Amino acid sequence: MIHHIRNKIYHVEVLPPKQDSEKLEKDLEIFSNKYLRVMDSGYCACVTDNAMGLLSFQGTEIIEELDLPVIPEQVMIHLNTFHTKDDLDNILNLCKTKGIMYLLIITGDGSERLPKLHPSDVGATDVESVTSVELLKYINREYPDTFVLGVAFNPYEPEEHELEKMERKIKAGATFIITQPLIERNEIVDRLLEKYPGIPVIVEAWMSRKLHLLSEAVGYEIPENTEFDPISTLKMLHKLYPGCGVYLSLLGFKTQYDLIKDTWV
Amino acid sequence: MKIVVCIKQVPATNDAKIDPETKRIIREGMKAILNPFDTYAVEEGVQLRDKFGGEVIALSMGPPKAEASLREAISVGVDRAILLSDRAFGGSDTWATSYVLAKAIEKIGDVDLVICGKQAIDGDTAQVGPGIAAHLDWLQATYVMAVEEISSSSIRVKRMHEDGYDICEMSLPAVITVVKDINIPRVPSLKGRLASNKCEIPVWKPDDINADTSKIGLNGSPTRVVKIQPPPPRHTSTKKIEGSSIECAQTLLRELKLRSIV
Amino acid sequence: MIAFTDAERKKYRNIWVVAEILFGEIQPVTYELTGAARTLADLRKSEVWVVVMGSDIEGKLESLFAYGADVAILVDNPGSSGFVDETETKIMKRLIIKYKPEVVICGATTRGRALIPRVSVMTHCGLTADCTGLSIDPENGDLLQTRPAFGGNVMATIRCSNHRPQMATVRPRVMKSPEPDPGRAGRIIKEDMLTSDSEKIKQIIDVFHSTETAYNLADAQIIISGGRGMKGPEGFKLLKQFAQRVGGAAVGASRAAVDSGWIPYAHQVGQTGQTVQTKVYIACGISGQIQHLVGMQSCDLIIAIDKNPDTPMMQIADIAVVGDLFEIIPEIIREIPNL
Ligand SMILES: Cc1cc2nc3c(=O)[nH]c(=O)nc-3n(C[C@H](O)[C@H](O)[C@H](O)COP(=O)(O)OP(=O)(O)OC[C@H]3O[C@@H](n4cnc5c(N)ncnc54)[C@H](O)[C@@H]3O)c2cc1C
Ligand SMILES: Cc1cc2nc3c(=O)[nH]c(=O)nc-3n(C[C@H](O)[C@H](O)[C@H](O)COP(=O)(O)OP(=O)(O)OC[C@H]3O[C@@H](n4cnc5c(N)ncnc54)[C@H](O)[C@@H]3O)c2cc1C
Repeated sequence: MIHHIRNKIYHVEVLPPKQDSEKLEKDLEIFSNKYLRVMDSGYCACVTDNAMGLLSFQGTEIIEELDLPVIPEQVMIHLNTFHTKDDLDNILNLCKTKGIMYLLIITGDGSERLPKLHPSDVGATDVESVTSVELLKYINREYPDTFVLGVAFNPYEPEEHELEKMERKIKAGATFIITQPLIERNEIVDRLLEKYPGIPVIVEAWMSRKLHLLSEAVGYEIPENTEFDPISTLKMLHKLYPGCGVYLSLLGFKTQYDLIKDTWV
Repeated sequence: MKIVVCIKQVPATNDAKIDPETKRIIREGMKAILNPFDTYAVEEGVQLRDKFGGEVIALSMGPPKAEASLREAISVGVDRAILLSDRAFGGSDTWATSYVLAKAIEKIGDVDLVICGKQAIDGDTAQVGPGIAAHLDWLQATYVMAVEEISSSSIRVKRMHEDGYDICEMSLPAVITVVKDINIPRVPSLKGRLASNKCEIPVWKPDDINADTSKIGLNGSPTRVVKIQPPPPRHTSTKKIEGSSIECAQTLLRELKLRSIV
Repeated sequence: MIAFTDAERKKYRNIWVVAEILFGEIQPVTYELTGAARTLADLRKSEVWVVVMGSDIEGKLESLFAYGADVAILVDNPGSSGFVDETETKIMKRLIIKYKPEVVICGATTRGRALIPRVSVMTHCGLTADCTGLSIDPENGDLLQTRPAFGGNVMATIRCSNHRPQMATVRPRVMKSPEPDPGRAGRIIKEDMLTSDSEKIKQIIDVFHSTETAYNLADAQIIISGGRGMKGPEGFKLLKQFAQRVGGAAVGASRAAVDSGWIPYAHQVGQTGQTVQTKVYIACGISGQIQHLVGMQSCDLIIAIDKNPDTPMMQIADIAVVGDLFEIIPEIIREIPNL
């Protein structure tokens, strides 16, 4: 992952079509166009897994169905704990055959319609509920030396709790970290960087103008800032965190894509 | 084995808004989904079919767009679907709804088992399942948390109760309503979803099921919703309990007893 | 459906309650409904009748009179091994045709919600589910039934003026149980079972009674929920103990607790968990972020226990207890008699 940062490779979020889409074929086409564009630019496409508990199709099945090219350095799949054991293994095996190696392992958002892994599914005996930690251990055990696994860090949750969880995630085999979106310097992220100097950290940049959505995404109230401008915030993040990579969430492919070409200098 | 699964399309959230003028629920713009409880009914139907062979048919009464929920059922393995849609069905309460569904089940013919969800998240009554059984004069088992055995002539199920559960065996044909514990519904795959888009879904009208028009729609419904309003506002003030832990515990306990909670 | 004429309507009198019997005991919901029926019957100057279907229950009927019943119809069923929907439906239908009640109220329990819809279809009656309010027109006997729908976001008022009897279910603990009057007396009418053939085709093989919280969140009347403030899985053991002492309570959780692996996801309340609407919600060590609140804010009574008095949860709670939950909860458990 460190060479992604050295080579200034952006991580670009690409949202898969939702299950309840009324124009699925069209949505698949949009997905495919975005994905191919990210491949062409040499960036890394990051495909989410039922983000916010909204039922969507899996990145792996779309890549397979549409026969999209996989450049191993340029694809990352998010994988959460809301799957059946069979689905989980299907996804992991498909990643393996397709040559997808970067996985972001998260506990994830549930919903009424999503199944949840049980501790016994992943051979965990010491917890009541499967979290990213158990999933990491499972993948490292069952699929040794196959994947590069990353985890999420939420600086808006109580620090002590979040850092303690990070320690367990690292012990379970996480080798890179992606933070929740930052819109300014964050002291908790600073302390994370201090604590894990050897681990690549990617900060998330919120590319939508809608800050209220950001509050919804992180779970805590982010003060509204009427002046919020995603592109200048992105530039600021590069200055504040020069040693970090950047993950672009909700990037506007029509309006913003061409503007980011020269932001990482 | 021929299985019918009854499914209802419902608003995506139960966060209903009321039009202050008409006092009616604003349904426009509300996204519609397959009733979450019915996904368990669909999954159970598909699993039973996979184990014992036969056919599983999804049945829904609702507006034309309810077709989308039937397609969802097909995308996870249901063999075919039928939509009951006509203005004359509109305004049906649970009595009339279960009558229409029962007539359609008779029309399908040779059905061994009907599976319903526990309840719909909008109407919330849990009355349609037993209503169908009553109209057909079939046996019923509600709050089913497991199908333990099934043969061509009988079914053995585990029924959930407040105080535990029981095991009940009955002859077929029968109606069961299922709770969440029964299975883990599969999520549609992209392949299944694309295939379901190509299926034909027939639409049945009152004549197709030989329905007695005095028993359907508003005419056939003994209940009338006469008023819809937002729930009364929550309390205006918080009662704060402070002091030593023992004092707090005792004051709270008094409050709990006062409200017959303990 | 053809509406009843006035003359036909007038043939129907009295307010009936269908008793909830478990293991030979009359359940509290029966007394709650008897109290509610009493109020309606007084307005109509008519009587409260309670239908009791069960075995070995004759000696226990006095309590029904104490809570306001005038008549208990006893259908003794000595051989009964459990709840057979079809048999009870047939009995109810026969009694309704014979005695013509104006209103029939039944507990919205798993058994009541299986039985009464069947009865209502067989007798051509309207049925209103989960009523939270019942009032009656003293002149013509029309029942106005108020019930929540759309998960509690809407209150609907429902009326079935064209048919008799009018039927309603009411959840346990919604109506207040009246003060019993042990001196009150009433009449007992005995009716035969008249066995039907359904027993031959439906059999209750076994009944399992479990005091272990058989409740999942959706069906519970009371939820005791824990958050990050519970500190670990041990904290949830404490909550389970608390829930067991408070009969009929389920254990819920915030996402912070679930994501820490302390309790299974099935217990999570909120935007990405379950939406609940219970009589009582007790939040222990949950700060009340909006994603949690949307899942529980329409509960009737919200109690919060938190050491920080200023959290959003403590603001929306009806009762906010300020203090250390590890001291307060064990104290409460000690004080509640073990059932
Ligand atoms: C605010 C409000 C309050 C209401 N209150 C009452 C009331 O008290 N009494 C009453 O009789 N009616 C009532 N109704 C009408 C009732 O919602 C409709 O009759 C509805 O068609 C079925 O009832 P339900 O949504 O409660 O379904 P439920 O009985 O809760 O549904 C149980 C199962 O039956 C099946 N099912 C239900 N509807 C359909 C369908 N259309 N097609 C296929 N399968 C289906 C599904 O498997 C479902 O899981 C009310 C409606 C509203 C809007
Ligand atoms: C997309 C998304 C979806 C989400 N969905 C949900 C959801 O469905 N459900 C949900 O719950 N959350 C959800 N969240 C998370 C939510 O934003 C909060 O992070 C979470 O609810 C916080 O949990 P908590 O209240 O238990 O923890 P905290 O906010 O940390 O609160 C803990 C509380 O415990 C108190 N406390 C600590 N020790 C003690 C003690 N000894 N005695 C008394 N009190 C004590 C503290 O004062 C504090 O108030 C979601 C977030 C996102 C981004």
